[in-house]
Amino acid sequence: MSISSELDRGEANTIDAKRPDTGIIDCDVHPLLKNGFPSLYPYMPMPWRERFKRKRAGQAAAGLTMRFAHPNGFIIREDARPHDDELAGSDPAFMVTDLLDANDMTACALNSLQTGAMCAILASADESIIIASAANDYFIQEWLPVDKRLRYAIVVPSQDPNAAAHEIRRVGKHAQVCAVAVPPIAMALGNRYWWPVYEAAQELDLPVFLHVTGAEGIYAGAPMPAGGLPDTYIERYVTLSQAAEANLTSLIMNGAFERFPRLRVLFVEYGFVWPLPALLRMDRLWRGLRHEVPWVRKSPIDYVNQHVWFTTQPIEEPGDPRDLEKIVKMIGVENLCFSTDYPHWDNDMPMQSLRMLSPADREKIMCRNARHVLRLS
Amino acid sequence: MSASERQEILVGDAAELVDGKFKIVQQGALKIGVTRLRDGTIRAVRNWCPHKGAAICKGIIGGTWPPSAPGDLVFDREGEILVCPWHGFEYDLRTGDELYRKAPTRLRFYEVVERNAKIFLLVSGRALEAPALSEPPAA
Repeated sequence: MSISSELDRGEANTIDAKRPDTGIIDCDVHPLLKNGFPSLYPYMPMPWRERFKRKRAGQAAAGLTMRFAHPNGFIIREDARPHDDELAGSDPAFMVTDLLDANDMTACALNSLQTGAMCAILASADESIIIASAANDYFIQEWLPVDKRLRYAIVVPSQDPNAAAHEIRRVGKHAQVCAVAVPPIAMALGNRYWWPVYEAAQELDLPVFLHVTGAEGIYAGAPMPAGGLPDTYIERYVTLSQAAEANLTSLIMNGAFERFPRLRVLFVEYGFVWPLPALLRMDRLWRGLRHEVPWVRKSPIDYVNQHVWFTTQPIEEPGDPRDLEKIVKMIGVENLCFSTDYPHWDNDMPMQSLRMLSPADREKIMCRNARHVLRLS
Repeated sequence: MSASERQEILVGDAAELVDGKFKIVQQGALKIGVTRLRDGTIRAVRNWCPHKGAAICKGIIGGTWPPSAPGDLVFDREGEILVCPWHGFEYDLRTGDELYRKAPTRLRFYEVVERNAKIFLLVSGRALEAPALSEPPAA
């Protein structure tokens, strides 16, 4: 593709000098292609563009099922539309105003689920390589120049880990690229399948994001929910963290953090309550069954403290907010990174989030911890 | 006998003790397993896992797979590791420590003496007075 790392990394990483570098960092923001799938056509080689046009790929790309459709019709906010005829998340300038300026944010991580779902499973493996490349070039060219606070998690073709690694090296040096979003497929993250991806991510000092794409539980080849197929959106939503738990366990038990000692993983939009029972159980079982996986050289909790972070959204809301504070303390203040999920319906906006915490703890989660995960400097 | 005074308890003939297996001796409520390690050292262990109180001397005496590089399996320390039959916690029969923990739990060892080809345990009166099940796990 024609786009590669063009910006000088040092220059672009000087986040607007007028703003303090202690502002909020939002680790999960979802941009949309302005005109849907055809937005990517200018960024594709001609034969592929013609193929996609001929097969009307733009119409084929929306892979919703009736059972998992949102009961109110849409997951993106009506009140975040740039204009009446535009979808929320489709205009970078509006997003800068509506999200970054309005909340005095230092940076946000753009994560395109729309193209992630295509790369995970909606498109074929060959198509997904072209789509990932076009999507990355689209966002790098059309979004990142709008504001230096816009950072981007590049999408990779999960169906081909070597192609994914190639894509990471192709665009990963761009100064405003902050992470690698790996669209989940039915291959747990600890599997050796992913080694080329981790090698490339580590080489470029980029963390790996795991975030649902919406294809889960719908398509063969996408991760399936444990215990059987959910019937409704709400049932599916509640159980999404099963996949996060399975992937965290897989990463640790397969020694991924021993093999890739600079690998950082951010679990995005799975919330942060689920790791507690998972880690307590992992630690306990490691004491008795450690020798089955001797490359797990220390307690799983120690690996999480060193290599893994969790975004806060969707934040649980217990009747007594002090219960949430206890959970934050148990999972570890240092392990959490704030995220809004803008412009989706189930967002957590900064003004209301984590108010029960001390100012110091809240500031770490809202502003500081992300600097240890995202490549921002 | 006072609580601090130690009592000799006969285990049996020295030749009876073989590596890889405990001989269990009971005195009152206290049960102690005695075995011979491969280098000839005699080890006496309270038959009580510090984790949940299992009869640990019924567990495996063997080796282990120490921490290694990903995908690389190493087997070592044959005959020096005791594995609890309940939850599989591994203990070092040299030191008594649970393996690979920053703050390990520890087996309770007892002193032994060998005299005239016979093995004796040296156990304090306090240990003999301890109830069998209500005692907290050894530190």
